[in-house]
Amino acid sequence: MPDGGSSSRRVPTFNTLAREDSFKNPPADGATYKILNEFVAPHIESFNALFDDSGLPSGDGDGRGLLSLGLQDIGERVVFDGRGVDSESWGNRMRIWIEQVTIARPMVPDRDRTARERRVFPAEARERLTSYRGRMSIKLCWTDPSGQKHEMPKDCGLVPIMVRSVRCNLRGMSAAELVQRHEEPEEFGGYFLINGNERLIRYLILPRRNHVISLIRPSFSNRGPSYTQYGVQIRCVRPDQTSVTNTLHYLDNGSAMLRFTWRKQEYVLPIMLVLKALVGASDKEIFEGVMMQDYDNTFLTDRVELLLRSFKMYTMRTGEQCLEYLGDKFRVVLGLPEDWTNAAVGAWLIKKLVLVHVDSPRDKFRMLLFMLRKLYTLVSGECCSDNPDSPQHQEVLLPGSLYGMIIKERMEEILNGIRATVNMDVRNGAHVDFHDKKYFAKVLTKVNFDVGAKLSNFLATGNLVSPTGLDLQQASGFTIVAEKLNWHRYISHFRCIHRGAFFAELKTTTVRKLLPEAWGFLCPVHTPDGTPCGLLNHLSRTCRIVTAPLTVAHIPTLLAAHGMTQAFAPSIDGRKNMCIQLDGRVVGWARPAVAAQLATNLRIWKTEGKYEVPLDLEIGFVPESQGGQYPGLYLFASRSRMMRPVKYLLNGRDDQVGSFEQVYMNIACQPEEIEDGVTHVEHDPTNFLSILANMTPFSDFNQSPRNIYQCQMGKQTMGTPSTAIQHRTDNKLYRLQTGQTPIVRPKLHNTYGMDAYPNGTNAVVAVISYTGYDMEDAMILNKSAHERGFTYGTVYKSQIIDLKDVRGASKNATTPSLHFGLGNDIKLTGENPHACKETVDLDGLPFPGARVNPGDPLAAYIDDTTGRTKFVKYKGDEMAYVDQVRLLGSDAGDSELQKIHITLRIPRAPVIGDKFSSRHGQKGVCSQKWPAIDMPFSESGMQPDVIINPHAFPSRMTIGMLVESMAGKSGAMHGLAQDATPFKFSEEDTAIDYFGKQLLASGYNYYGNEPMYSGITGQEFAADIYLGVVYYQRLRHMVLDKFQVRTTGPVDPVTRQPVKGRKRAGGIRFGEMERDALIAHGTSFLLQDRLMNCSDYSTAWVCRTCGSLISLGYEDVSLGEMVSGPGKTLKPTGPGGEYCRVCRAAADEEEERERQILATGQQFQRVHGDVTVAISSEHVLNSASKGGDLDVVAIPYVFRYLCAELASMGINVSLAVR
Amino acid sequence: MNRQQPGSQNSSSAPSGSFLPPPKQDMEYLYCGVKNEIKAREPIRCRECGHRIMYKKRTKRSAPDCCL
Repeated sequence: MPDGGSSSRRVPTFNTLAREDSFKNPPADGATYKILNEFVAPHIESFNALFDDSGLPSGDGDGRGLLSLGLQDIGERVVFDGRGVDSESWGNRMRIWIEQVTIARPMVPDRDRTARERRVFPAEARERLTSYRGRMSIKLCWTDPSGQKHEMPKDCGLVPIMVRSVRCNLRGMSAAELVQRHEEPEEFGGYFLINGNERLIRYLILPRRNHVISLIRPSFSNRGPSYTQYGVQIRCVRPDQTSVTNTLHYLDNGSAMLRFTWRKQEYVLPIMLVLKALVGASDKEIFEGVMMQDYDNTFLTDRVELLLRSFKMYTMRTGEQCLEYLGDKFRVVLGLPEDWTNAAVGAWLIKKLVLVHVDSPRDKFRMLLFMLRKLYTLVSGECCSDNPDSPQHQEVLLPGSLYGMIIKERMEEILNGIRATVNMDVRNGAHVDFHDKKYFAKVLTKVNFDVGAKLSNFLATGNLVSPTGLDLQQASGFTIVAEKLNWHRYISHFRCIHRGAFFAELKTTTVRKLLPEAWGFLCPVHTPDGTPCGLLNHLSRTCRIVTAPLTVAHIPTLLAAHGMTQAFAPSIDGRKNMCIQLDGRVVGWARPAVAAQLATNLRIWKTEGKYEVPLDLEIGFVPESQGGQYPGLYLFASRSRMMRPVKYLLNGRDDQVGSFEQVYMNIACQPEEIEDGVTHVEHDPTNFLSILANMTPFSDFNQSPRNIYQCQMGKQTMGTPSTAIQHRTDNKLYRLQTGQTPIVRPKLHNTYGMDAYPNGTNAVVAVISYTGYDMEDAMILNKSAHERGFTYGTVYKSQIIDLKDVRGASKNATTPSLHFGLGNDIKLTGENPHACKETVDLDGLPFPGARVNPGDPLAAYIDDTTGRTKFVKYKGDEMAYVDQVRLLGSDAGDSELQKIHITLRIPRAPVIGDKFSSRHGQKGVCSQKWPAIDMPFSESGMQPDVIINPHAFPSRMTIGMLVESMAGKSGAMHGLAQDATPFKFSEEDTAIDYFGKQLLASGYNYYGNEPMYSGITGQEFAADIYLGVVYYQRLRHMVLDKFQVRTTGPVDPVTRQPVKGRKRAGGIRFGEMERDALIAHGTSFLLQDRLMNCSDYSTAWVCRTCGSLISLGYEDVSLGEMVSGPGKTLKPTGPGGEYCRVCRAAADEEEERERQILATGQQFQRVHGDVTVAISSEHVLNSASKGGDLDVVAIPYVFRYLCAELASMGINVSLAVR
Repeated sequence: MNRQQPGSQNSSSAPSGSFLPPPKQDMEYLYCGVKNEIKAREPIRCRECGHRIMYKKRTKRSAPDCCL
């Protein structure tokens, strides 16, 4: 080889030895690949944020977790015992509240005294098919009538814990320790373990919090009379991350209505009522607040005047009056203490449901005025409506936040439950004594405290059972299983982000659109095609989600010091000033130039860390425009925002850009593109791609849909799902035995440690139309390559045998009646031993390594009641090996063996019909395993492993694959791992030239093609063949799981037609269109065979006379004589004694009538039946045989069934037999 | 194995005739490389550390007459 003589030692590019070493000796001081812990950080940190001791920076808060904040928001419930001295008073007062909530780490229950390791690790939950849960307890407090406080710890069950979170026992463990705990060395957590399954809460897109968006929705006008399509909306979030959405609707008459939701019920209030109730504002104050000196604007003056006038009919002048009015109307629904005044109830309503993100009524008032101004501007057309589908106005629902919301709501329900129970007792006249601790304990027994079960159910099903709906648009589909099909799929779960189940039903496609605003936050490539396209996205590689609260309390002062007019300043000119908001709170006003300067200053400060401006502060400066977005300077410091790192050009520092501000930034993709007006530059041009999209080599050479397909197929590849495969209990696991590191890979392949989980094989690929077996995307495998293990795979399946669920199990958990083992009734020795001894051991469990065929016994158990041994059979339809047998104990390790988990290993060598693909969306099915001697060979004697057809390229334009082929070839020759990062080459410096020169250096043709010779004739082909090395993936779709063949088999009991479904050995539907095709071809024999003989062929007796199918009767035939009928007269029947009951009855009737005519001489009018029978003339002639003339015909059974059904409805079917 | 325990009145299926009762053999299971002998109807628990999962050992004891 040309490089063989070089004396200098080359730097290894595959890092095989380093990787081997890191596997043998995983680092004892951290992770092998730190970046793997970073990309799940939003999952884990949002969960950690629930707890006070989470280790997250406290920001402006006091460092309390979301659970504590939630408790604070819940407040207390008040009950009265109704034993007042007079009828007016409510009686003794009792306050109930929850003071503290704690969630412990998963531990072995105290019942188990033998366990030396008290901690429970996730691997145990996974292997024992249980949930990874920690105990939750609350401190419940109440007061007795004397005001004395009592408290009681209360157990709330076991709550699922997120793996690697602050409550997980794996927290902070190094790779070496993780391996010791049977985890991956790169275990990054972020999921929950429910019944042995890894489930995670998927990110969900929500409207951006604390920001007013303007909406034009035609559906708004359907809300009621005088409602219009205009509205402004704000999703307000409390410190505990629960939210309330407030919408301001514009009415025809110029006024506005505020809409909010309380316990899934919508309410609307006139905005004037709220404005007055908040601060007791005078009409003038409101007028000036909305007008802001813009008196020339008659559009505005007219409407504000109408707004004020329309409220006159309410005859409420002061704030107090408004509060009392509100309290009076809402007292019934809110369920507040009965002794509260109406004003207090009204104030509570305003506090808890109107603009809940700000505390003070004055701030709420200012914000409502801003909303009103924005609404009027929208109506006048001076600003446009905001697009709620744009990431600019979106944020992410974090798993931990949702979890916290559910816990908060459950605790609220506990308090409500206690109150309801006491109230019920009072109403029913039961003994209610607040002095008696026993009474309170009795009340508590009636209340469900099991929060853990509720959370487990939520995680297991993804269904949200909630009385308030949590201000979310969906009630199900929150959680998904993190399938470990292969590493790519697994890590994608943690980066996927869903638009919401509600949008999946929308007929319009606008929500699915890829918007430029999503650049750098959502990957444009990595989305599935089909139904969830555009709704299920994946975060870009560098996209972060802010999870920690920021310190921004000092920002308003800082801004005021640099030219901002404070919010409380009187007489601000609304035309010349723009609003400055921090997290949905009006902090001041500034002229556009000043605001722009402030925005620039803030950006410089935050990138340079001056004045303690946090880097994650989002500075959304919306400049003035003609009819564009409503201008202002909007600062966001809250959590759940998407941010991404870029370089700020002004000072060359790292900047974090949010999705709101990015719209007004000018970010260059590459340094060469920087020109005047560009503010930022990307750190890396590939940062906008997701991790998976980044793994496609030379993706910039491909047509974009092909990259989308590759993102799909990369997730369906048989690869390496896990390195701790011996400790996995997944239902189905695919494993590629001969995985390799790709020769051609992007740099990030190493960064993300993908080599630990190989996903395919480097294959020598010839692009040639050779045998004709490579038509239509089929590919030919070299048989010798296959025999050497090319893409050899294994499927692991689980079978769980739980004696508790077997028939005959006793309900008693402590003394089960079924036990694993072989009883005395099974003979294992002697001349005729039981067949089970091949697979089942004396303990009733299968031998590890045993080979089982379908139907073989896998396990044996003895039934104490009958004393017999029963077997559990292997239910699969393929031969398998018993890989592992796990004996699963109980939680406390105190019960005998009742449950086992068997891992079955099914070898899956590639066969014809299996699916393969390169990394460029080029999938194909293996059509032949071609003998090596007949494969074409090159001048150096190389034979391809895979042959694909040249027609795969022109229409699909996957040039990346061609480049990979060249790069792979030269990489293999020079021993180089080729960098395939996209956007590295240019028009001047082409990839073809770079790799072509490498090929030249190793003695190949510059263009990657070379002369080849036919394997059959040995003659050189007329054309040079493109031969190179391409990384091939074996997809999990294998014929063995799909083939469906039958001639006859199981049939439906009713119709006797073949059943549906592959699992039941059913048929494939041969439908009407297929039938039409066969008719058109005139293939009647085939039709007969498919639709009759192989389906519901049946024979039936049909009466030639009346055409009935259902009137077969049989004569009693005894000793060759026919005796039947009342007259004991001989009736005509067929040779087997069969006759038509209809025709015979008709004949009998006729006879009877004739006899009567004979007897009486009277001529009866012939009675006509209402049934007309189609009888061909020849059969009418044959009516001499008065009992019908039956014939056997072949008809489909369903037709007979149809006739019977029709007959039951009084419809006769008559066949004409010719 | 202690399958003929008092309490389970299965005398009807008592060994009769030629076939032998199964050999009294305790099964060995593994956890963290430690051999554990667990008799039938004993709790599943590692003797060393109290762990609650056992793995069945791979053995050649099966079918001695068919092995080559």
